[in-house]
Amino acid sequence: MGRYDIAIIGTGPAGLEAAITATIRNKSVLLLGSAQLSEKINKAHLVKNYLGLPETGGEKLKRAFLDHINELGIQITDARVSNVYSMGDYFALQTGDINNMLEARTVILATGVSQTSTLDGEERLLGRGVSYCATCDAPLYKGKRVAVIGYSPAQEEEADFLAEVASSVIYFPVYKGDINVKPQVKVIREKPVSIRQDLRGFAVVTATGEYQADGTFVLRESIAPDKLVPGLELDGNHVKVDLNMRTNIPGLYAAGDVTGTPYQYIKAAGQGNVASLSAVSYLAEQDRK
Amino acid sequence: MVKVIKSAEFDQVENSKAAVVDFSATWCGPCHMMAPVLDKLSDDMAGKMDFFNMDVDENPDMASRFGITSIPCLIIFQDGKEVKRSVGFLPEQAIKPVLEEFAK
Repeated sequence: MGRYDIAIIGTGPAGLEAAITATIRNKSVLLLGSAQLSEKINKAHLVKNYLGLPETGGEKLKRAFLDHINELGIQITDARVSNVYSMGDYFALQTGDINNMLEARTVILATGVSQTSTLDGEERLLGRGVSYCATCDAPLYKGKRVAVIGYSPAQEEEADFLAEVASSVIYFPVYKGDINVKPQVKVIREKPVSIRQDLRGFAVVTATGEYQADGTFVLRESIAPDKLVPGLELDGNHVKVDLNMRTNIPGLYAAGDVTGTPYQYIKAAGQGNVASLSAVSYLAEQDRK
Repeated sequence: MVKVIKSAEFDQVENSKAAVVDFSATWCGPCHMMAPVLDKLSDDMAGKMDFFNMDVDENPDMASRFGITSIPCLIIFQDGKEVKRSVGFLPEQAIKPVLEEFAK
């Protein structure tokens, strides 16, 4: 595993198109994301304005997209990126274990938009008791009480991991269904409303109760772009890009819903293409130096 | 060059006109990624700012004294007093202007 030319984060139409364009331009591509493509496409009813695929349902679009990337031999690496470090002449991508960073010369963010809003107190207390990364900060809570707010079943694993380090773990699932965690993880089926820190200490507040802890891990499916890429400039909730899909970080581009409205598949694909070509151009420029 | 110091050597920070201390740990991924960035900045800003590193596991008293709950944590000191702190990894282009603001 060496350093890739282009790492693409996200397997919606923006990421997929970026991967297709980059592959045709003979670049080494690392395509990271769900093998199920996007959650959005799995739920889509009927898309009427996708060029070449009139009146197409989500299932059929998904198959068409998968056929296209399979034809080009493009593989999806089903991994969740928790951090992207801009190191100057390359980027390091963390997908869990700190000993296995992936490296790429350029990165295209095609992570889409998230519908969940942050909890009251969450952003203010980030780094001062609130953390988004269990792997990163678990050791700081050795022997301490930890609260975990999980937005999907995938976070149950993180709660279990924290239980190995912390003295106690309370888990707040913000989703329905069965919860499968270790017996020592206490599940509280109350929806967190805010996170508080005052003279009384640190606590997760729900509609019906208050739970003291030494720290809280807020684990969502997707991470806000500026938290994912430290130093990234946003425009409201979206990543700020120019017409070439360039962000404020050289070598890093964004495409699709993550750059803003309109939230349309065909726009995402178009931006994926532009971002990819910008990355290719940047690489050529770097190679000339 | 970033100088690694222990609690007992903290007077070096207190005696400096402008210093930045990187609080980190060996198991911390972002700290590991930030190290080369700080190393380069320490060379670029030699004479303008003193760069130090402190391991929070080896110096828990300092981590406690400064209320460090998340790392990496950069604290900038002017004449021994904390003037700015930043938590988490930041690329060179984001850290440099902050350090320059408080440099000698």
